[in-house]
Amino acid sequence: MMMRRVFVKILFIVSILGFSSNIYASEVDDLKAHFLEELDDIIKIIENKQYTKDERNAKIVDELTPMFDFKLMAKLSLGKKEWMSLSKDEREKFVTLYVERMKNSYSSKIDAYENEKITITNIKRKKSRMLLSTEISTAEKNLKIVYKFYKPKKRKKDKDAWLIYDVEIIGISILKADKAQFKEFLRTKSIEDLMEALATKKTS
Amino acid sequence: MLKRYSIFLLLVFISFNFSACSSKEAQVPKVSKTTQSQEVADDDFDDFEEEMAVKEVSDPFEGYNRSVTNFNDGMYEHFFKPVNKGYTAITSPGFRKSVGRFFNNLYYPMRLINNLLQGKFHYAFEETGRFVVNTTAGFLGFFDPAKDKMGLEPHNEDFGQTLGFYGVGPGPHIVIPLFGPSNLRDAISFFPDAAVSPIDYKDRDWPTLTRTWAELMAVKSVEKFNNVSLYSNQYEEIRKDAVDLYPYLRDLYEQKRAKEIEE
Repeated sequence: MMMRRVFVKILFIVSILGFSSNIYASEVDDLKAHFLEELDDIIKIIENKQYTKDERNAKIVDELTPMFDFKLMAKLSLGKKEWMSLSKDEREKFVTLYVERMKNSYSSKIDAYENEKITITNIKRKKSRMLLSTEISTAEKNLKIVYKFYKPKKRKKDKDAWLIYDVEIIGISILKADKAQFKEFLRTKSIEDLMEALATKKTS
Repeated sequence: MLKRYSIFLLLVFISFNFSACSSKEAQVPKVSKTTQSQEVADDDFDDFEEEMAVKEVSDPFEGYNRSVTNFNDGMYEHFFKPVNKGYTAITSPGFRKSVGRFFNNLYYPMRLINNLLQGKFHYAFEETGRFVVNTTAGFLGFFDPAKDKMGLEPHNEDFGQTLGFYGVGPGPHIVIPLFGPSNLRDAISFFPDAAVSPIDYKDRDWPTLTRTWAELMAVKSVEKFNNVSLYSNQYEEIRKDAVDLYPYLRDLYEQKRAKEIEE
């Protein structure tokens, strides 16, 4: 009798564990499906010849915005020490400029896009992070791009549950690269200079 | 008895899991309380600071490196870019890709030796398969049926990666005229890799592609121009993303090499 009760309990617990691991697996699948959906939407926008170049890029950036945590990227690119030393206004200004730069950088990469095939090669979960590896095969070479997602403790407004905080292109983290160059820049120049440099890059 | 024991173990395991979860949750409000008094929502950094740590790059030659970077960028803008414009006008993307593959296939001895030196025997084997298939069925390496048809993946290894594999650090960053960013380790490694290159004309026991210095330079130039055509878009994107070109290129190079050695 005793034995049986224990057995039932274990069965119950095991089934819960089984169920939760199902949720775990389906989150990976969901993200993959969501990514593919977004990709499809973006390709549809690109293929729609009615849009002008600027309209098209703006639409794509709108489509991408809920997937990226640009604000976090801006913060991380400066690093903790530098970020903490900024005033509230400076922080806002920096985030705006950084986001603007990211969007421009993306737009110019879209301009270079020529119907290349994008495939998901791997998706890996590590606790609150997910690494989604893709390969884009261009006429001239294959590019490996890894999108790094994290899951914020509380879902952010107008954002997906899983957000991209870094992109790795052929093994190079763009966030780390930015952090390194900003750090170097700030060694000899001020944060105002950096913001000015970002602002002028925007127009060029 | 055994059954009981295993049930006990399972329960211990499960309860441990639960307690681990609950203790984690108990910690969360504590953390947010302390950060709340400082600044709003800056516990972001705690999760990422370690992951995003940027290594200090040794850079005693910064002045020289900066001027060579400017020189290289000028050469790109005023020489390679216009030449490339002509080259891409008369060649198709497929042709340029094939030329890139042809040269890449020739560097098989370098990849074989460095894979072997690092004890990566299965990669050495795969590279050998690629060389045999692509040299024959791939028309001297102009095509890549090994990957397309047989799924044999390339495993690029050079002597710099071999040294890195055995723990040799990159040393100071050095920008080489016309070649681009490098570091002491990789610049020195250029020589052993060239020694097994079938393009080089120096005394060899096996047939080489060139026999004189002039021929070598001619072949190397073709390779260089073709590479420019393959990577010019990438370089221009990098230029756009850079606030200051030299440190940006330096970091991209060192990150890429670190990643290649890690693999």
